[in-house]
Amino acid sequence: MSFREKTAWVMALILIGGAIFYFDKVARLSQALGQTAPPVVGLVIAYVVVIVIASIIIMSVLAISAGKEADAPADEREKIIADKAGNWAGYVIAVAALGGLWHYAVNMDGNMLFHLIFLSLMLGQIAEYVFQIALYRRGV
Amino acid sequence: MAKAPPITNRVRDLRERHGQMSQAALADAIGVTRQTIIAIEQGRYSPSLESAFRISRVFGVGVEDVFGWEE
Repeated sequence: MSFREKTAWVMALILIGGAIFYFDKVARLSQALGQTAPPVVGLVIAYVVVIVIASIIIMSVLAISAGKEADAPADEREKIIADKAGNWAGYVIAVAALGGLWHYAVNMDGNMLFHLIFLSLMLGQIAEYVFQIALYRRGV
Repeated sequence: MAKAPPITNRVRDLRERHGQMSQAALADAIGVTRQTIIAIEQGRYSPSLESAFRISRVFGVGVEDVFGWEE
């Protein structure tokens, strides 16, 4: 498995873990309040910090074990994979964000809109890495 | 995903005839990763025209001797 495919696996798992962490907190808070929890800036910052720190630690370990492969720029196939995955992930964000806007138009729940838009950003990032993995395995 | 074009190649065969050249050596020679050479040999990736020419030059043959189109 190439360094970049390993990177995609690791980042996908980190982001899925981060999303579970974030929405578990939001669900618990909403349950305690009896309504959709409002945006909590501290929780968003905690999510970002956890993702960044976990990424730095695990990517450093991967880069050290990969040696010179980690320093090499992406080749033509890897660039195509990154471009396609990024393009398809854009559609995931768009569909998820439209779902959030539709939910707001029907329910007028601004707090839920915040969470759904944040979820769409998370899903977009996760989808990008999942598409990369699929393209590395199935072929471009 | 779009259907892969019916492009065939003899990269593995030529590599073995070329003094058992390793995938890593060929990858270094044309400026791609070893995984890309593996993907080309397995038909999971059709290289750019530039890489196709580079591969054929490494083996000292024409592009059409390395790659084919079989429908």
